[in-house]
Amino acid sequence: MKRSRRFEVLAARPVNQDGFVVEWPEVGLIAMNSPNDPQPGIRIEQGRVVELDGKRREDFDMIDQFIADYAIDLDVAPRVMAMDSVTLARMLVDVNVPREEIVALTRGMTPAKIVEVVGHLNVVEMMMALQKMRARRTPSNQCHVTNLRDNPVLLAADAAEAAVRGFDEQETTVGVVRYAPFNALALLVGSQTGRGGVLTQCALEEATELLLGMRGLTSYAETISVYGTEQVFVDGDDTPWSKAFLASAYASRGLKMRFTSGTGSEVQMGYAEGKSMLYLETRCVMITKGAGVQGLQNGSISCIGIPGAVPSGIRAVLAENLITTMLDLEVASGNDQTFSHSDIRRTARMLMQMLPGTDFIFSGFSAVPNYDNMFAGSNFDAEDFDDYLILQRDLMVDGGLRPVREEEILAVRRRAAQALQAVFRELGLPPIEDEEVEAATYAHGSKEMPPRKVAEDLQAAQEMLRRGVTGLDVVRALAKHGYQDIAERVLNMLKQRVSGDYLQTSAIITADFRVLSAVNDPNDYRGPNTGYRLSGARWEEIKNIPQAIRPEDFDV
Amino acid sequence: MIDESLVQQVVREVLKSLGRQAPEEKPAPAVGGGLDPARDYPLATQRPELVRTPGGRRLDELTLERVMSGEITADEFRITPETLRLQAEIAAAVGRRQLAENLRRAAELTAIPDERILEIYNALRPYRSTKAELLAIADELESRYGARINAAFIREAAEVYERRGRLKA
Repeated sequence: MKRSRRFEVLAARPVNQDGFVVEWPEVGLIAMNSPNDPQPGIRIEQGRVVELDGKRREDFDMIDQFIADYAIDLDVAPRVMAMDSVTLARMLVDVNVPREEIVALTRGMTPAKIVEVVGHLNVVEMMMALQKMRARRTPSNQCHVTNLRDNPVLLAADAAEAAVRGFDEQETTVGVVRYAPFNALALLVGSQTGRGGVLTQCALEEATELLLGMRGLTSYAETISVYGTEQVFVDGDDTPWSKAFLASAYASRGLKMRFTSGTGSEVQMGYAEGKSMLYLETRCVMITKGAGVQGLQNGSISCIGIPGAVPSGIRAVLAENLITTMLDLEVASGNDQTFSHSDIRRTARMLMQMLPGTDFIFSGFSAVPNYDNMFAGSNFDAEDFDDYLILQRDLMVDGGLRPVREEEILAVRRRAAQALQAVFRELGLPPIEDEEVEAATYAHGSKEMPPRKVAEDLQAAQEMLRRGVTGLDVVRALAKHGYQDIAERVLNMLKQRVSGDYLQTSAIITADFRVLSAVNDPNDYRGPNTGYRLSGARWEEIKNIPQAIRPEDFDV
Repeated sequence: MIDESLVQQVVREVLKSLGRQAPEEKPAPAVGGGLDPARDYPLATQRPELVRTPGGRRLDELTLERVMSGEITADEFRITPETLRLQAEIAAAVGRRQLAENLRRAAELTAIPDERILEIYNALRPYRSTKAELLAIADELESRYGARINAAFIREAAEVYERRGRLKA
């Protein structure tokens, strides 16, 4: 066949490098409403669920049992299960029905019921519902700070910049596992140099992640994965009980934490049981609820390529964020992995969370170039900062970021690198040279950093763990070398774990170390002129991008 | 330090069991009695007098000067079971029953050393423990640390793992 020139041009477009697949319910390649999804239903006898979504108690797998016994409010269940799902879907969108009423009803729903209710919503309705249902009134954002070589000096500088740019949470992870203590340390020092109160985490294997938190080198955790089928859960080397115990262990050390899940993980791991992605994900959200964890990172996360490939998949991703908020949990709403070659597509996917606002719109936005992102890239990265800032301004939407000046960024990057240099010296870690500080100040990515002696670093990082270096040692090192202000901030982060205020749902910490959570900043959206409104100083900040021409720029 | 807090914990648990039948149903009575989330949260700023470190210090005593002089050590930067129960009370008051339960389980775990916590977590992973091993952990939690809610939780896990074939062969 002679090729159409237009079809050739279209075939070369970035979107056609993406993968697509037709619906295939038998293997779980279906976003929502699989013919194999169970029908909603519950039977309660003597205060106990004896049948859940058509399955009898004796046939329950671990997940069914956990959800039935911990996640469903049996006082509410009979009433809400008898309600028409279309009516419930309309209540979600109706601005006259307050958030609390939806939360109270969702408490009594089974997984299949929840999926049936949100299945009646289109994406605009889901966004309207999400705007009302997110737990915290003020939206926020999280970033990734990583690099290809685990260079600690660059991590500190990037963390400082990201803090100034407005991210309230920062997540790092490692290329080489043994670097973990350095990454956590660099992120702690860097973030607090940028602004006090930023929460930091280091994503690792569960037990190690908890250990770094116990030592005071991180302040929260997120990569505590849960899955929607028992086989995948067990393949992930956990059970709902082990994960719930881990959740309590975190809280017992005064550490904030959330679980992680996402549509597509069960298909990817080969045991979807023929169920739709959203049905399985709803089970994950309910496990999180049942475990008493305050929040969840979801929105497909590392499996975004799978819902992204099927019809209505990106709608299902929005639906899973919405379900998380209906169950009164904090949502860190994904957008955190490279998913499309198409700039149009990755932007459209992101707007689903940015426009309504979530507790953390990205989890996270890569604050480094994509090549340095060790979470397999992110949907947006450091090279998209200005596009994102201008979207906030165009649409008058608070996406959590602020315009910055180059001079302020250079200053804070240098200071963070110098502060880490001092901490390394004080703790007897391999020296950070002045030229590394200089390079980190001006660098965009790790390609511009002088190499470090990796073997020495790794040995020292392990030694640091063995010696039991704590956050308090970091405070002392900073103060001793003249960084009183950063020392005070790290100390204030450690004090958070004494009061435990940030263990409540959707907590972030302001620059003056006030905890802002769904308890003291509850979402009170009830339609136009209610809820979070972008105004005042924050709107001035978003408006005033340095690129905008001002009257004084005209010589008239 | 651990021994001291362990003793405190045991005494508290004993007092509590004398006081009423099912202590896990309700949090220990708050010092302030009936916290109002709208008025009393965040505790650090609204009710700082209710928050103490494991060594009995107030938040405003945790200063950089005292850290630098070595008067305050890292052990002080830990949450106490009492504070966790206050936070549980706040969570329950805003309708978050499960979060409150998690915080009450956490309150029991404060007395358990870090290493032991990590070991118990690993023992709860699939195929790691026999039923007897899990039941022994539950007994240890209950008798040694007064951690009744956690003990019951682990006994339940042992039953579920047995039924679903997830115990160590």
